Amino acid sequence: MQYTNPEIPEGINTSESHPLKDFFILTGGVIAIVVISFYLLIVTVDFFADKIPFSWEQSIPVASLLETDTSETPPYLERLTRQVAADMDLPEGMQVTLHYVNSDTVNAFATLGGHMVLHRGLLEKLRSEDELVMVIAHEIAHLKYRHPISAASHSLLAMMVLSLFTSSADGVLNRLMGTSGLITLMKFSRDYEYHADAAAVDVLLRRYGHAQGAVALFDVFKAQHNGVELLEFFNTHPLTERRVQRALSLAQKQSVLSADKSVTKKMQPLPADYTAWLAAQSTAQSATQSSDKSTDR
Amino acid sequence: MYDLIIFVVLMLLGYGFGRATEARHYASIRKRERFLNRIPAIASRIPPFGEPNFDSQLVTGNVVISVDYFKRFIATLRNFFGGRVTSYESLLDRARREAVLRMKQEARSLGASMVFNIKFETASIHKGNGNTIGSIEVLAYGTALIPNNIEVAHTANLMR
Repeated sequence: MQYTNPEIPEGINTSESHPLKDFFILTGGVIAIVVISFYLLIVTVDFFADKIPFSWEQSIPVASLLETDTSETPPYLERLTRQVAADMDLPEGMQVTLHYVNSDTVNAFATLGGHMVLHRGLLEKLRSEDELVMVIAHEIAHLKYRHPISAASHSLLAMMVLSLFTSSADGVLNRLMGTSGLITLMKFSRDYEYHADAAAVDVLLRRYGHAQGAVALFDVFKAQHNGVELLEFFNTHPLTERRVQRALSLAQKQSVLSADKSVTKKMQPLPADYTAWLAAQSTAQSATQSSDKSTDR
Repeated sequence: MYDLIIFVVLMLLGYGFGRATEARHYASIRKRERFLNRIPAIASRIPPFGEPNFDSQLVTGNVVISVDYFKRFIATLRNFFGGRVTSYESLLDRARREAVLRMKQEARSLGASMVFNIKFETASIHKGNGNTIGSIEVLAYGTALIPNNIEVAHTANLMR
């Protein structure tokens, strides 16, 4: 009897496939599963965000983060806001709170809890009541369609997902709710802006019979498109050529439709006491600034 | 972010060193297997030759191997999808063949002509550490048959 050990043939107990191939197939599968799950999560959040009761939204202490004094708001702006809000049949229980900020920032935004903030910088750019109504109606439309809570839900989801990967999950909620950045620099998607523009144009038509205010407002923005002073406004309201075109064509189409009623396309002037108040605000602000500077020295 | 960088570095190190070590090890295994092929290792429990002519002695070969990060990562992903854990197959193949080679090496130094009744034992060394240490021990042992006089040694040699 003869005993031998054969040379062991390779590739029986081990597989010849390249480990990198294995790696890419497996990680590809994992990434696909993760992407699909997050996509489903986003779809779910989208579906449920605007079904969150407005009263829940109101319980978020947004007003304290905004650091504005509502008593400073002139009655004219308050009245206009109330009228526009009444015109837009808001969902039941929704209240719009107007905040006025005496700063040079050219901005206006809507945020969680039905809060709407107008900066003096933007108000100074407006030459007629129509333009002012366009701005206010645009922001109220954001509130009406629950854009802030949708955007906040997206941010929250993004932060949660991010915290999964960065393993710093501690206090994500605290950080989120504590950041005034989320409240004051809420970014809406372009679709949200189109939607709000359309609703605002609708308000203009119902109020004045024409949408010349939208045209004038976009003219103001376009004229200063390259200026830095509008920077913040474009951060929160990306003014793309497409958005302008959409809003304007909508406005013009509706105006043509209503033209047979022979309405004059003349825009309402701003009341004198309001413009006087605005000018006073501006000088008051520069006075405090210069006095600040002098104390600095 | 740092976690991701650490992960990528570990993966690259695991892949680079793992591949290089494996290629070198396989080359060495094949070379020594050819060399030690003249001492057959047989699984049979019954000694092939008449006992009086041979001394017998226990010979063992032991090896401990550790998984590299890359192999472990692939094996972890295999937990989700199932299928052949190819990254571990080559590792264990190397460990078993290395253990047999060490056992044969011991038999050779004793002047044995063959090893019979060989067996394997394995033990994983991660008790209490979960996933942190992925080491495994492979022990090969058997009975070495050592010819106890020149004549038998000559016959044993002739038989091969």
